[in-house]
Amino acid sequence: MKNLKKWMAGALALTLCFGTLAGCADTTDKATPTTTVEATQDTTEKPTTGKITAYSEAPFITKLGTYGKVEDRLPDPEDIMIEADDYLKIGTYGGELKRAATSSSWFPGKIIEEGLFRFNLDGSVGPNVAKGYDVNEDSTVYTIYLRKGMKWSDGEPFTADDCVWFYNVVLANKLDSKGYRKCHLDGNGNPAVVEKVDDYTFTFTFGVPKYNFIQAHCVDMKWAYAPKHYFESAVDKILAGNKDEGLAEINEKAGTDFVDVGTMGSKLLYNFWNYHIPTLNPYVISNEAGKNSIEGDYFEFVRNPYYWKVDAVGQQLPYIDKITYAKVSSDDQKVLLLMDGTIDMSLVGIADVPTLLESDAGPRIYEWTDVNWGDVKTQVMFNLGIEDPHLNELFNNPDFRQAMSICVDREEVAQLYSNGWQKPGQCAPGEGVPGHRDSWSKKWTEYDVDKAKSLFESAGLVMGKDGFYDFADGTDFVLNIMSVSSYKAGEFYKILEPYYRAAGIKCTFKDIDRTNFDNEVRSNSIECCLHSCSPFGTVSVGLRSNSIVPGLDTNNVWCGTMDKSTATGDLLKLIELHEQLKESGDEEERNAIMEQMYDLYEKNMWVLAYVETAPSYNAINKRVKNVPETMINNDVYRNEGVAHVQCWYIEE
Amino acid sequence: MLKYTGKRLLMFIPTIIIISLVIFFIIQLPPGDFVSSYVAAMTEEGEIFSAEDVQLLRDRFGLDDSWGVQYFNWIKGIVTRGDFGYSFEYGRSVWSVITDTLAITIFVSVVIMIFQYAVSLPIGIYCANHQYSAGDYFWSFIGFIGTATPNFLLAIIIMYLVYVWSGNVYLGLFSTEMLQNGMRWEYVPEFLGRCLIPLLVIGTSGTCGIIRTVRAQMLDEQTRQYTLTARAKGCSEATITYKYCLRAAMNPIVSGMAGSLRSIFSGATVSAIVLNLSLQGPVLLDALKSQDMYLAGTIVLIQAVLVVTGTLLSDIALAWLDPRIRYAERS
Repeated sequence: MKNLKKWMAGALALTLCFGTLAGCADTTDKATPTTTVEATQDTTEKPTTGKITAYSEAPFITKLGTYGKVEDRLPDPEDIMIEADDYLKIGTYGGELKRAATSSSWFPGKIIEEGLFRFNLDGSVGPNVAKGYDVNEDSTVYTIYLRKGMKWSDGEPFTADDCVWFYNVVLANKLDSKGYRKCHLDGNGNPAVVEKVDDYTFTFTFGVPKYNFIQAHCVDMKWAYAPKHYFESAVDKILAGNKDEGLAEINEKAGTDFVDVGTMGSKLLYNFWNYHIPTLNPYVISNEAGKNSIEGDYFEFVRNPYYWKVDAVGQQLPYIDKITYAKVSSDDQKVLLLMDGTIDMSLVGIADVPTLLESDAGPRIYEWTDVNWGDVKTQVMFNLGIEDPHLNELFNNPDFRQAMSICVDREEVAQLYSNGWQKPGQCAPGEGVPGHRDSWSKKWTEYDVDKAKSLFESAGLVMGKDGFYDFADGTDFVLNIMSVSSYKAGEFYKILEPYYRAAGIKCTFKDIDRTNFDNEVRSNSIECCLHSCSPFGTVSVGLRSNSIVPGLDTNNVWCGTMDKSTATGDLLKLIELHEQLKESGDEEERNAIMEQMYDLYEKNMWVLAYVETAPSYNAINKRVKNVPETMINNDVYRNEGVAHVQCWYIEE
Repeated sequence: MLKYTGKRLLMFIPTIIIISLVIFFIIQLPPGDFVSSYVAAMTEEGEIFSAEDVQLLRDRFGLDDSWGVQYFNWIKGIVTRGDFGYSFEYGRSVWSVITDTLAITIFVSVVIMIFQYAVSLPIGIYCANHQYSAGDYFWSFIGFIGTATPNFLLAIIIMYLVYVWSGNVYLGLFSTEMLQNGMRWEYVPEFLGRCLIPLLVIGTSGTCGIIRTVRAQMLDEQTRQYTLTARAKGCSEATITYKYCLRAAMNPIVSGMAGSLRSIFSGATVSAIVLNLSLQGPVLLDALKSQDMYLAGTIVLIQAVLVVTGTLLSDIALAWLDPRIRYAERS
């Protein structure tokens, strides 16, 4: 298992650095769409169409008897997507995947989302709804190729019109409540022009080169299309000013009772999987009363009879007939339901693992790699953009941060914090995460109080008569730490505080409500934070860097409201490198930039952590098969969504 | 009696207006608003919001208006159109959100209320008639358990015991099968079994108060002149207890029923969360947490109306029950 992890880690790092833009690099010199489609096919999709002579469907569909032949529902044979990863076994049809959900718009969606392109388990980007793409030499025109004959879950054809209409009507008018995403904007902030070429081809044209569009598209947006045939008439009415009429039409179609256009858009065009409307996902929420509302006590997603993927022997996916959800009030209740087998899977805490293993259901526990840089509950952020000049100077002094790091006995802290389950750590990418370096993970991790004290003094603090450090002008230095009350960071603070005190640092701790915390962050008034709501770290600086580069997000405590205009030194350099990364299309150059960014993080250690991050423990009932044992559990990859639920099957 | 009722009804309107103002003001007191809560919750799930996105949301929900304007619009909608507003969280009308859980909340609450009175009244009467006996101590102890043990703890203990005995975790009133297939006759035994846990947990939390009130009132009444007179005249103990003493002892119980109407509407909150019951209480809690102000405001307003209505009804019931009140009112 360890070897497999290492292999995964290596593969992930390599593919993230080199692989994601391989298609782009490969295709820049291709002239005709015919060749480029093949060239951009990801190697993970095995070209086994030649071997499949017949397609079959689930008995569930056959019994219904209303959908006709499976061949007529699938895309054209050469465009059917085949799921044939090495770890997948040929499954059997039927059964239910039973889950429990708290209130969340996203939870049922992540596992079934289908973007134009998708992340594979090894972190590479592969084809999905789109079978390939082509890009011109200067990376300004991306041509996207769709699968011929593909259909929506209501049987209507899925074509380029659905993508072009979504972009030019829905996004352009912000009907989905979001509008254009970052990936749609070029370096000058202008949106791409999207045009239809033919029924299965359309283009994104940028004003200036957009080098990482496919990758950015995969990260930022799973929303690339909408069923035009379903929405167009009502949307036309809304845009013509007949909002009530348009809204009434949609409400009638979707069986909803939205009272304004904004809400309708944010629900049906943004969180669309939660409503019974045409979809390309493997499952669509039921349309039966009592089973069709994610706000209800129970809801279920049933198989899409027009799903466009098959397994290696031609069985139309998904294997499992439906995914059922029972509503629970808290995550703890999921553990109870796992114990008696009422539900099949859930993420659990390490403390629950022994109980679960001894329970009647005795689920398997898979350790999925977590990409956080150190355990986020032990991350300490000093606000480097704080307005107070004393604190600003101190926090920006690396000696101070080093001292705060080495004045803590990590071995003891890790033992107390996790009962020995987790290792001491630092705020650095862990093993298996891109950017990982041993030197970084171990930097400033030795326990040396005397050295810490001398570093405090070299940072300008002087020991006061009360045994605590003061500023050089004699004013008291108190490190005021804040956190979000629901995170229960106070428990770790109790472990941490004696070390700080012993090193001569007087500190206070305040737990506040998340809303208040956000307000404090936005007003740049948090001095120091334990377990931020926006943890420091990412799966890769090239994929998502909003929490680790100043000026990209509104709730980063460690840099406050700092942006390019106020940053200095290495922080400014970091921002500039990030800008270069966005503008670079050359993979070697991109890798070099990312390495430079990692160098800066390692050199400066802007954020500290004391314990290594733990893996995500996913408890899965033994009857569920084809679930990958190792993978990266991260929002960028859509968490368990990257495990491709359509390939899972039930074996009692 | 009519004048008395009319006077109470007239006081009803300004009371509700003042309560609604206070409710709306208090709900808006915490820093931030629904959008900040929403953005915070969504960010935790990985969604990224720009400052423009946040402003768009705020515009959409009209949150940049002053609270006075928002209150006026809300009340205007209620009075003129019977429209309680719009739930930001659910994206639909407040009333439709409330009605989602209303029926089951009323069912559970009424069953629990019946359980509480059915258990407490006999125990209270027995304890009063057998003061300081072993039975008095035993039943008082039983009655105290529910009050002395925090509801959530009792819920966890009972759920644990049920899991150990049966191997099943009984969370919620309905099993997955019931939710999948709808209620059928064959599910009734299991449904009743599932009802037992909340019945015990929530029901026993209120029994002690009623038992002690009835016991104290009964003891008080048993030493009154009219009781002695009745006993001297040879009335049976049953008649003295049930016809005279109990009737007088019921006064504080009836006046206490004013709050019952409110609890019937809201259901128990903490126990409902622990036991995963879809009652109105958790809906209100979530609405307050996310500052979904029209939803929270409407639920609290309805509770307030029910308390005021309950008080009115209990006053009327008391006047009917106790001739002394009618006499005092007339004089």
